[in-house]
Amino acid sequence: MNPSASTPLVASLLDAPPSASGIAWLDEARREHRAAFAAGGLPGARVEAWKYTALRGLTQRRFAAGDATAATRDVDAAAFALPGVDGPRLVFVNGVFRADLSTAAALPDGLSLQPLSQALRNDAEPLRFALSRPALVGPVREAADAFVQVNAASATDGVVLKVAAHASIAAPVQLVFVGAAADAELAWHARNLIELGEGASLELIEHHVGSGEQAQLATLVGDVVLHEGAQLHHVVLQNAASGANLIRRSGLRLHARAQLRLHVLELGGALVRHDLQAELVGDGAQLHTRGAFMPHGRQHVDTQLAIRHQALDTASTSVWRGVASDRARGVFRGAILVAPGADGSDASLNNKNLLLSPGAEIDTKPELEIYADEVQAAHGATVGQLDERSLFYLRSRGIPLAEARALLTAAFCRAVLDDLPNAALREHLSGLLIAQLPA
Amino acid sequence: MNEIMNNQSSTAAALRDNAQVAEALGRSYSAGFITEIEMTGLPPGLDEDTIRALSAVKHEPEWMTEWRLEAYRHWLTMPKPDWAKLNIDPIDYQAISYYAAPKKQPKSLDEVDPALLETYEKLGVPLHERAALAGVAVDAVFDSVSVGTTFRKQLADAGVLFCSMSEAIREYPELVQKYLGSVVPTGDNFFAALNSAVFSDGSFVFIPKGVRCPMELSTYFRINAQNTGQFERTLIVAEEGAHVSYLEGCTAPKRDENQLHAAVVELVALEKAQIKYSTVQNWYPGDENGVGGIYNFVTKRGDCRGDDSKICWTQVETGSAITWKYPSVVLRGDRSVGEFYSVALTHHFQQADTGTKMVHLGKDTKSKIVSKGISAGKSSNSYRGLVKMEKGAERARNYTQCDSLLIGKKCGAHTFPYMEVKNPTAIVEHEATTSKISDEQMFYCRSRGIGEEDAVSMIVDGFCKQVFRELPMEFAVEAKKLLEVSLEGAVG
Repeated sequence: MNPSASTPLVASLLDAPPSASGIAWLDEARREHRAAFAAGGLPGARVEAWKYTALRGLTQRRFAAGDATAATRDVDAAAFALPGVDGPRLVFVNGVFRADLSTAAALPDGLSLQPLSQALRNDAEPLRFALSRPALVGPVREAADAFVQVNAASATDGVVLKVAAHASIAAPVQLVFVGAAADAELAWHARNLIELGEGASLELIEHHVGSGEQAQLATLVGDVVLHEGAQLHHVVLQNAASGANLIRRSGLRLHARAQLRLHVLELGGALVRHDLQAELVGDGAQLHTRGAFMPHGRQHVDTQLAIRHQALDTASTSVWRGVASDRARGVFRGAILVAPGADGSDASLNNKNLLLSPGAEIDTKPELEIYADEVQAAHGATVGQLDERSLFYLRSRGIPLAEARALLTAAFCRAVLDDLPNAALREHLSGLLIAQLPA
Repeated sequence: MNEIMNNQSSTAAALRDNAQVAEALGRSYSAGFITEIEMTGLPPGLDEDTIRALSAVKHEPEWMTEWRLEAYRHWLTMPKPDWAKLNIDPIDYQAISYYAAPKKQPKSLDEVDPALLETYEKLGVPLHERAALAGVAVDAVFDSVSVGTTFRKQLADAGVLFCSMSEAIREYPELVQKYLGSVVPTGDNFFAALNSAVFSDGSFVFIPKGVRCPMELSTYFRINAQNTGQFERTLIVAEEGAHVSYLEGCTAPKRDENQLHAAVVELVALEKAQIKYSTVQNWYPGDENGVGGIYNFVTKRGDCRGDDSKICWTQVETGSAITWKYPSVVLRGDRSVGEFYSVALTHHFQQADTGTKMVHLGKDTKSKIVSKGISAGKSSNSYRGLVKMEKGAERARNYTQCDSLLIGKKCGAHTFPYMEVKNPTAIVEHEATTSKISDEQMFYCRSRGIGEEDAVSMIVDGFCKQVFRELPMEFAVEAKKLLEVSLEGAVG
């Protein structure tokens, strides 16, 4: 057995009795996932996918399972108000759906949006396939995906979103996950299932907020499936509380000619990990990912992006920026795989990082794994500082050093927001990003 | 009747084709012959007694035997590495003979067995000093032992020590003791530990303070005997202000079983010293069905111990069934420089997982990595590299460029660069591309009357130019030829 299996963290995650849903197949699946987690334990430093993210700080902690009073906990709704985002909204507090904070009464035609807990009560059968496994899209590796197993065993709520074929949903849908301080240090989980039918289109905002410095452990596992010709703009704004340990996994599956634009802004949290597993399974599918992480203080932000080109003429572009200051650490992996026969694939990835303080660290690892020859694949990664000449140019025009630095750093990060179509949201995010920059 | 005639003529054509194919294949690995020579050695198997016997055969001092045994005991506790992107059939370490040597041990070059001299002649390695054209000093290693070193007198006059490792252990124990294992410790990794326990020979180079080595030094490794492993150990020390350029070449006969080659190379550059280490690796790659070939599991590391020192690795890797090799530089001294230039070509069922590590510790250190991978047939070719900027690496700088070229639909080309930066004044840049030879380039060449194979060869040559430029002249010519031969039959 894995030595980490006996740590207080693992024990506390296994302490909670497996949640009983009353649905036989679901309870059975949860028991299995729980057993798989108990057997595999947490990933240690020797697990390649966790090489740069040590769980040492967490393993000695105990987290209480779930929040019994989440339904009545006071939450400031202003924290998740976003300009340019006025469509249906689902809000979860410590992993529990809050109808009182949500606005999902009158949904546009073609959109089905409900919390997982409700969907299971109404008709669990359509969810059977997805919930019988830890995750729908991408591989689930022993140890490396321990938190996916934990999530599959423990999550009782989340989002079930469906867009009917050829439906075009104009208003952006907002999913809010609030980590609220409670009496004890909590662990909570959410499982999201998102599916866009043939030719459907949607703008989706995933928003993580929180309050208090109390430590929390949250796992979120989401699967996004885009059928033929579907289009999704997906924005992730992660602004969790400073005590949050937020471990997310997103599986993205794109069928023929589907297009997904993803923008990710990682601002908050203590230990943040995001596993992005994308599969381009249909001919002509396109994925464009943009993201910025800017850890400061003692934050640790780890993004693991894996894109698999598995069909003809697929394309992916990825642009990611990292800025690490104080004693923070930024970790990025951007892996592109072109499977045998995926001719005509065009993949590019670019990760640039600024390292601003002597105590900060950046670890980046772009990867190419190519098994087809009619391919264009390129990646680039840099770690460094602001360009001295650009600084000199600005100063020679009378801009003070501090201001010149701020301007250039902001421009460096803004590159990832340039092609975000929702203008009001783009400006807001840009403002958040600038506010986060070290003075 | 007509039908029969046609059949006959097509058979004749097929025979002719077969003959051509056979000829091409014969040409494809010209170093694949076996030298019939009387050999002596240890029986297959590995335990502490084998190591004691090996040490005794070589008349080694007590400390050396102990050093080996310690490495062996450590090796027993180590797991086999499995992180590389390689499929390695399990290796039976008890089936390998850890020592094989020609029976007649020559006292000087004149006494070397003519069959051996012929072997090196065939390989184009001039062992006889009078035959040496441009004045390259050669140490020839045949299976487990060094059979001769040329130009010893001229080198000795300059103060340069160039001899086999066995000789160095006997003649210069204090130097060997001081530097051996100081760059690659005995327990560094699985294969380095194995090598430390059982290494048989290799080259030792010592360039004293302020000396520029008057000629290029070279070692030629040849595996000949069956069921042997070659475990050579090379140590090069350049004292303050010394300069040396060292070349390494290797070949092995064609055999159906895989043979293990696990070498360790250690370079030490003191203040202002410069070491240039060039390799043309042409071990037997196995046949077109992936049968046989050398397992080339090598640990090469240089230590820029002094300020302003420089270590440059240049490698052309065309041989071996499996290559597992990461020539690295530890940039300890301030302003020290590390360079890595590599061309790795894989064909048929060859697998290569190769790259470099640049560990920046000192201030204003610089490193440059240029890696060109070419995959053809059903081969797999990976670049794996690490650039690490430690806290004290003020203003350190790295530039890395990795390009891969795919020839054919069934091969793989992979890039796994790691960048770890802990200093906010350091700059690391990495770029990589993967593509095939473009149709436009081919069309351009073909429309000018250049045949398909020649066109591919020209384009590949251009692709590798940046690396070939760094090779000493004789090697550059050999490397170009090797690539051409290795790519034969890769197109169409």
